[in-house]
Amino acid sequence: MDVRSVTAALKYADARPATEAKPQSDEVAGGLKSMAMDFAQTMQQGETAAISAMSSDADPHALVLALAQTELAVETAVTVRNKVVQAYQEILRMPV
Amino acid sequence: MNDFSKALQISASALKAQSTRLRHVSENISNADTPGYRRKLVSFETIRSAGDDMALVTTGRVKLDQTDLTQKFDLSHPMADEDGYYSGSNVDLMIEIADAREAQRSYEANLKMFDQSQQMSAGLMDLLRK
Repeated sequence: MDVRSVTAALKYADARPATEAKPQSDEVAGGLKSMAMDFAQTMQQGETAAISAMSSDADPHALVLALAQTELAVETAVTVRNKVVQAYQEILRMPV
Repeated sequence: MNDFSKALQISASALKAQSTRLRHVSENISNADTPGYRRKLVSFETIRSAGDDMALVTTGRVKLDQTDLTQKFDLSHPMADEDGYYSGSNVDLMIEIADAREAQRSYEANLKMFDQSQQMSAGLMDLLRK
């Protein structure tokens, strides 16, 4: 009986590292970071084009292009964020 | 940059090129009565950026049409020679209208492509939204 409880404790100690939270891997963080940088850059370009179109020295085609690119980037970012949040909520709802 | 934004960029370059073409056509039409005016010819060129397989379009150098100027008879015109003729422009309105219509059609085609690229990317993102 005593021996068995010791082995159970050992097994438990063995199993612990498997459930421990690992720090986030650099790959995912790097990917998210470069995506965010790309997004910010596209937004910046859209704003610059809009400002120069308002001050009436830019080509309207450039404005439309920049706004369409910005829309594309925002839509992508929002969709991905929604998907991430949805996955997180799914994990939170998981019965333990 | 993904393929959708590249497609948008290419369509935008074509739209810009066609609007430049339309500008030169309207210059030709408005100068149809200017003595000695030679009509402008617009050419298109491909821009290839290094390390990229995008083929944007742009308008090249404007050339002047070297066909003979029309000789108009008007004795009272200040530029008339001793026979009463002066050189008008070599603009043919029929050609200019046809050229303008061609620019319009091409512009519409590129607008449709722009719209289609946007719709396709929106459709792709809709897949994730369920």
